[in-house]
Amino acid sequence: MTAAVLPRALPTGRILVAAILGLVAAFALLGPVLVPGDPFAQSLMKSLAGPEPAAPFGYDHLGRSLWHRLVHALRLSPLIALAAVATAAAAGLVLGVVAALRGGWVERLLVILADALLALPGLLMVLIVLAIMPGTATGFWAGLSLVLWVEFFRLTRATARATLASPAVQAARLLGFGWPYVLRTHLWPEIAPLMLTAAAFGTATAIMGIAALGFVSVGMRAPTPELGLMMVELLPYWREAPMALLTPVLATFALLLGLTLLAGGHRT
Amino acid sequence: MTLLSATDITVLDGAVRLVAPVSLTLNPGEPLVILGETGSGKSLLAQAIMGTLPASLRATGVVCIGGRSLPAGDRAAFRGLWGRQIAVLPQEPWLSLDPLMRAAPQVAEAHRLVRGLPGGAARDRAARDLQALGLGAASALYPHQLSGGMAQRVAIAAARAGGAPIVIADEPTKGLDAARRDDVAELLLGALARGGGLLVITHDLALARRIGGRLMVLRDGAVLETGATSAVLSAPQAAYTRELIAADPESWSRRVAPSEAGQTVLEARDLTLSRGGQRLVDGLTLELRAGRILGITGPSGCGKSSLGDALLGMLTPERGQITRARGLAPTAFQKLWQDPVAAFPRTRPLGQTLRDVARLHAAPPDRIGGLLDRLRLAPGLLARRPGSVSGGELQRLALLRAMLAKPRFIFADEPTSRLDPITQRDIIGLLADLARSDGLAIALVSHDPVLIERVADVTTCLPMQEGRKSARDAAIRRKDRGMERPAILR
Repeated sequence: MTAAVLPRALPTGRILVAAILGLVAAFALLGPVLVPGDPFAQSLMKSLAGPEPAAPFGYDHLGRSLWHRLVHALRLSPLIALAAVATAAAAGLVLGVVAALRGGWVERLLVILADALLALPGLLMVLIVLAIMPGTATGFWAGLSLVLWVEFFRLTRATARATLASPAVQAARLLGFGWPYVLRTHLWPEIAPLMLTAAAFGTATAIMGIAALGFVSVGMRAPTPELGLMMVELLPYWREAPMALLTPVLATFALLLGLTLLAGGHRT
Repeated sequence: MTLLSATDITVLDGAVRLVAPVSLTLNPGEPLVILGETGSGKSLLAQAIMGTLPASLRATGVVCIGGRSLPAGDRAAFRGLWGRQIAVLPQEPWLSLDPLMRAAPQVAEAHRLVRGLPGGAARDRAARDLQALGLGAASALYPHQLSGGMAQRVAIAAARAGGAPIVIADEPTKGLDAARRDDVAELLLGALARGGGLLVITHDLALARRIGGRLMVLRDGAVLETGATSAVLSAPQAAYTRELIAADPESWSRRVAPSEAGQTVLEARDLTLSRGGQRLVDGLTLELRAGRILGITGPSGCGKSSLGDALLGMLTPERGQITRARGLAPTAFQKLWQDPVAAFPRTRPLGQTLRDVARLHAAPPDRIGGLLDRLRLAPGLLARRPGSVSGGELQRLALLRAMLAKPRFIFADEPTSRLDPITQRDIIGLLADLARSDGLAIALVSHDPVLIERVADVTTCLPMQEGRKSARDAAIRRKDRGMERPAILR
């Protein structure tokens, strides 16, 4: 028996992913260093004005620099998303391993809980949490974590069940190894690649969710610069300032494309 | 008249030649057996003759079937022959039957679509075919309700429904116990009765002996020897054939047990085991002594592995007592698995796994090297991962890993059933040596009663419990799909 050769992502695909995500990250981190400014400063004189050295992307309807608003937005959503994914992955990993190890009613209870959450639309979950903590980053983080952990839990539990039942793990137990060793050397190598893929998809889902709720005006509150909120604010002016509307749209697209390609590149 | 003749069949993978030019003929009423180890190219040769080679491989040569000459490289030309000229006996009968279809319609379908009979006639023929195979009562059952042997008979009835005179069977006895093996041989010989041709590909000498006819020994894609099966097996010419026959448990000499029995390592009294609500072992009493080999045989699914789990402390017996000798470390009881690849972490280099074990058991640094020598393993293997080491080497590495834990007892669960005969003899020989030199108690499980009889000092035969036939087949299927959940996790 020979192990199937795993197809590797094409180098060009990897370069593309690195380029897209690197560009977005560099913009978000270095934008205000290159062109100092304030995302909240209004100047109605410059409403929908074109680009100039102090505002390379021009101005929105209230005369705020789009460059600086975009920088702020591209820091906010990914930060919330990454925090939510980190929490969800940790919770899913721990609960998945516990379910697989303990079995019995612990496992049944966790599976029922995960299935019940899965039956609810994800955005509705986030909205319910946001109703308790309206318009805050913490609310988004809590709501998104609550939605995203199910995926990590299901992946971990399925993989852990199969791995822990394997002769390799039985052998390790017979040889006297403890569970920490088994989890580190047997389980983690099986789960890690799945986790990376799920994390990239989860981050994309979270960013999309934040933008979608912002777009229907139930997410972050104005004047916070947020991708979905920026789109809906600029939508009435699409005829006068199409580039102003396209700026947040293109930024969101680039971010999601990069993350989706990253997830695909890790598939084995 | 020749049913099938193949001339100068070669199989190439790019520029690499996997099967050297091989020619063979198949005559009515005279079976042809192709004998060889895994990797000898015997399956590729058969696939080239049937036109079912994987697309990445290329075949050359000419195949004559039923008066037609076909170039072996032209896959499409063979399509029309499948079912009508050539019938293939599937290796895994359960997997080749439609799980949602009753037995009779599966056969009737082949009569209707391959042979072209109208619906009513096809149903009649199917009923008669099943009757002839002793399956009249089973015609309304679904595949999951059939036993392995019955499923195999349904599968062959369906395969032969197209009226093909030639039957090709590739490793038809893989993983079967001795009783089922004889059933399959009978079934195959039955196909000859109507003047058909039979081509059997196997590594199983016992099956070759049962089938008879002519024999062709294949190694590294080349024919080493051909002749009448009985003549080749009784007086082999090629050195490799002699080695192969010598490796058959039938020709082993009986192991001489050490004269004085060692201390008792483990004692089981009045043991009763159940798994999943099924009674597996009832009132078994046994004793394991240092230096002795206990042979355990019995049909598939009779609870051999469960007995092992209980002896190793991974399954709590329903009744009875298992007593370990006093002063033994919990890790003094080790196990060898049937599939060594599954017994190692998939992504970790073997050397690292072994060093972890050595460190855990505070073994001196040269212990691994010493054991490598003793088990005749190359140190270079340690840099590899389990998937890229041969089965025989990996099973020896598994033995090495167990030895690092300074075991007093090893439960070897069919350790050689997936290995070639020559490798099997090596591994069993090593186990016997270790039992003598290190005073190990060994429980050796095998479905091969001859092997057990030659090696074991004491034998326990686990009978199939009453009313467990269907449960047994379910257990086999569960095992095939890797669904079993060991007690260690419950």
